[in-house]
Amino acid sequence: MSQLLDQDSAFFDLAQRRNVLFYHKGYFSHNIVAAMGEVVKLQLEIAGVSGPTRRKLFSSFVELSQNIVHYSSDSLQPGNDGGGSIREGAVCITTDGESHLMMCVNPIAAEDVEGLRNKLEPLRSMSVEEIKQAYKVTLRADTPEESKGAGLGFLTMARDASAPLEFAFHPRADEPGTTLFCLKAII
Amino acid sequence: MDNLYIAATATSPEVDFRFDQHSLLLRGESYPENAAAFYAPIIEQLRQYLAESVGAVITVDVVLTYFNSSSTKMLFSVFDALDEAAQSGSRVLMNWYRDEEDETIAEFGEELKADFHAIEFTDRPVAHQGQ
Repeated sequence: MSQLLDQDSAFFDLAQRRNVLFYHKGYFSHNIVAAMGEVVKLQLEIAGVSGPTRRKLFSSFVELSQNIVHYSSDSLQPGNDGGGSIREGAVCITTDGESHLMMCVNPIAAEDVEGLRNKLEPLRSMSVEEIKQAYKVTLRADTPEESKGAGLGFLTMARDASAPLEFAFHPRADEPGTTLFCLKAII
Repeated sequence: MDNLYIAATATSPEVDFRFDQHSLLLRGESYPENAAAFYAPIIEQLRQYLAESVGAVITVDVVLTYFNSSSTKMLFSVFDALDEAAQSGSRVLMNWYRDEEDETIAEFGEELKADFHAIEFTDRPVAHQGQ
């Protein structure tokens, strides 16, 4: 038993030191997101997170995870357009003092980087009031054609976050057409 | 026309539209895989009912505890249909149930009030259930 634990203890130690409430790396489907949603709700409740913060974290978790289901470039069933997408990514929720960090990483096509950057960059310099205003405008606007959601997802996350959303793109050396997209929300 | 009932799932709300009683209910959480696919047929039947029942007094109970961004967009279309009916001779009495601590759902209710003047909107904060 102890030998078994010793081999992997670095991983568990690190997870504990960083106060990891939830972590999943692998494939995301709608059913997997629903099941993870139950886990996340329970973990946040047990950790004693307040109701309003729990709701914001859960909301960001759903938006991030559904983004992976819909937009990650690594699909388990290529060419399956009839719904039931299964795509790859990672999501992590940690606690840092009074705040909570929600991070996600997923591969995207390198050609989509600029479009994503243009959506996210303006949000970083907006005040909470400006974000709420943009949310109201987008809520009433027609849905962009390339969007499976409503174009409201990032605004929803920005509205719930207590600091500007952070994001980064890491080109993958082994796959030139693919870039890793990282997004972090502090709540 | 027939009533519309869709049982709740973990990610989609209960839809209980008793058209014969002019009583409509949405209850639960809403983050289906494809919100447009879930709500489009509901909105279509709702519009058909509203067109056939001009002059009715319609009660709408909304008890949603969470909706994701794409559901939010579709819910706006539901309320748009109701507002049009209320402008065309029906009365729409909407009860907006929410946890009293839930600012997001309260703010969305405010958005609805701001846009849909013909709906008679009642905010119904529910005291938080202590653990």
